[in-house]
Amino acid sequence: MTTSTQVPQQGVTGAMHRDQAMRLLPWMVGVLAVLGALALQSQLFLGQQRTVAAIFMFVSLAQAWNLIGGFTGYACFGQVVFFGIGGYFTAIAISHWHLSFWVSLLLSGVVAALFATLIGLPLLRLKGHYFAIATLGVAEGMREVVTNLPDLTGGGAGITIPTVGPDATTAYLGNEGFYVLFLALAALSVLVGGLVARSKFGYALRAIHQDEDAAAAVGINTTRMKVLAFALSGFITGLVGATYAFQQVTIFPQRLFDVNITVLMVIMVVIGGSGTVLGPLLGAVTLQFLSEFLRQNFTDLHIFILGAIIIVAVILLPQGAVNYVREARRTGEFSLLANVRKYRL
Amino acid sequence: MSTVPVLETRGLGRSFGGLRAVSDVSFSVPEGQVLGVIGPNGSGKSTFINLVTGHIKPTQGRVLIDGRDLTAARPWVIAHARVARTFQIVKPFRGMSVRENVAVGILYGPQGTNVMAHALKAADEVLEEVGIAGLGDRPPGELSVADARRLELAKALALRPRLLLLDEVMAGLRHTEIEPSLELIRSLKARGITVIVVEHVMKAILAVSDRVLVLHQGQVLTSGDPREVLADPRVIEAYLGHRYAKRRETDS
Repeated sequence: MTTSTQVPQQGVTGAMHRDQAMRLLPWMVGVLAVLGALALQSQLFLGQQRTVAAIFMFVSLAQAWNLIGGFTGYACFGQVVFFGIGGYFTAIAISHWHLSFWVSLLLSGVVAALFATLIGLPLLRLKGHYFAIATLGVAEGMREVVTNLPDLTGGGAGITIPTVGPDATTAYLGNEGFYVLFLALAALSVLVGGLVARSKFGYALRAIHQDEDAAAAVGINTTRMKVLAFALSGFITGLVGATYAFQQVTIFPQRLFDVNITVLMVIMVVIGGSGTVLGPLLGAVTLQFLSEFLRQNFTDLHIFILGAIIIVAVILLPQGAVNYVREARRTGEFSLLANVRKYRL
Repeated sequence: MSTVPVLETRGLGRSFGGLRAVSDVSFSVPEGQVLGVIGPNGSGKSTFINLVTGHIKPTQGRVLIDGRDLTAARPWVIAHARVARTFQIVKPFRGMSVRENVAVGILYGPQGTNVMAHALKAADEVLEEVGIAGLGDRPPGELSVADARRLELAKALALRPRLLLLDEVMAGLRHTEIEPSLELIRSLKARGITVIVVEHVMKAILAVSDRVLVLHQGQVLTSGDPREVLADPRVIEAYLGHRYAKRRETDS
């Protein structure tokens, strides 16, 4: 074989290697981020670990919301219902049925996913505001149901998960343990988001987001895909709720079905960039970090300043930071004012 | 060639409240034929396509595809029966490239694949067929009106359909832009694809149709040879009004 035939072959394989490397890059960055977070743990005080664990928790919640609200375009304003169901299922499973936390955790995800399927079948026929309002109603209604079943849920007085003594099925994980567990959930949810974004499933969700009729016309079973996305989103949210409940030990309906948790998920995704993998991650980290920083430095004004920052961000970057950067890089138009003009109603 | 018609409708109709958008439409299209469907605005042409493809459920009658009763089947079931359609108002998937727009149909179409690379490669072939091979990387929002129509067509062709329903793919195009579309319809016919062309552009209907069906106020006014149908006084009256038809009659 002569060199002249080998040279172009090398060129092709070189390009393929570069292509493969580019595709592997996000995964490698992800692995490094997880290792970095584990290394960071030893540098933090226990209280700080709790703060960082809360950031991880919101990363996974934002990623979960992004599956249905971002990729699929169904803005769910009752997402906290899966969080609450996961939390209460775990609390009940441990204290009433004496299951271990790990079994309860997994079952909580499954139960939340089943509930998502159940309410998704009728509700995902609604669009836009109607879907948002209906899901909001489900979450508010579920809080009342849980409050009014005191024998099972402890009602408004709350339910306490046994963490010490003979009734404790799994030893309390402590701040170190929850740091690792929330980190694992964050990693899992980002991984799921990344896999969905690159998969055939992800294309179906984005097609449904853009135009449901057109998606159905090219052979996508839109009902099945929407319900699957909702169930997957509910599954992850349920896992996070279960972990949160165990961390809190005693849980109350007001806290576990708090509409503010849904609002935070939505804001984090929208500010970061909905329908992307990086967006919810950045949005959750930035907002949660900022919130904590403001709380410690401007105790009285913290909510006010945070609100003002969110409003400015949404006005200047209505499509989210990640989508803005992507568009700006493609078109060469970096002006924020031009961006406002482009997206104004 | 089979004797069972690719598409047959029996007494197909749809009422919206008291309004009968389409009623009692019965006809069949044999394999490999190009059927032109014309009719004035509001005559039920688009509703008819929506009824056949499952986007609107009929209130009466049946839809048979290859002899299979697919009345009120969901749109994706129709797509999997290799019946593809375009939309009058183009419906691209924004946020995806032109190539990806077509690839979605290949991933989820009747022959479906799970391999993204195959789908993207096959999408390029479809883009070439409709004449926008060079635009695969562009976002659909940047396409011209004519190219956006071609993308709409490419998304339908991605299903490798046996029956293709085109809802006014030539409306608003310039003469020079219409000719390639006609050429494409002829080439589809040559490949044995049955095509139903809903169109306002009479010249286009005459140029490609084997048979023409005229809808008027939701009902079949007449059908048959394109030239004979277009010369039919009832058709002229439906399109241009009673007085024009009468004047034309006295003139001749």
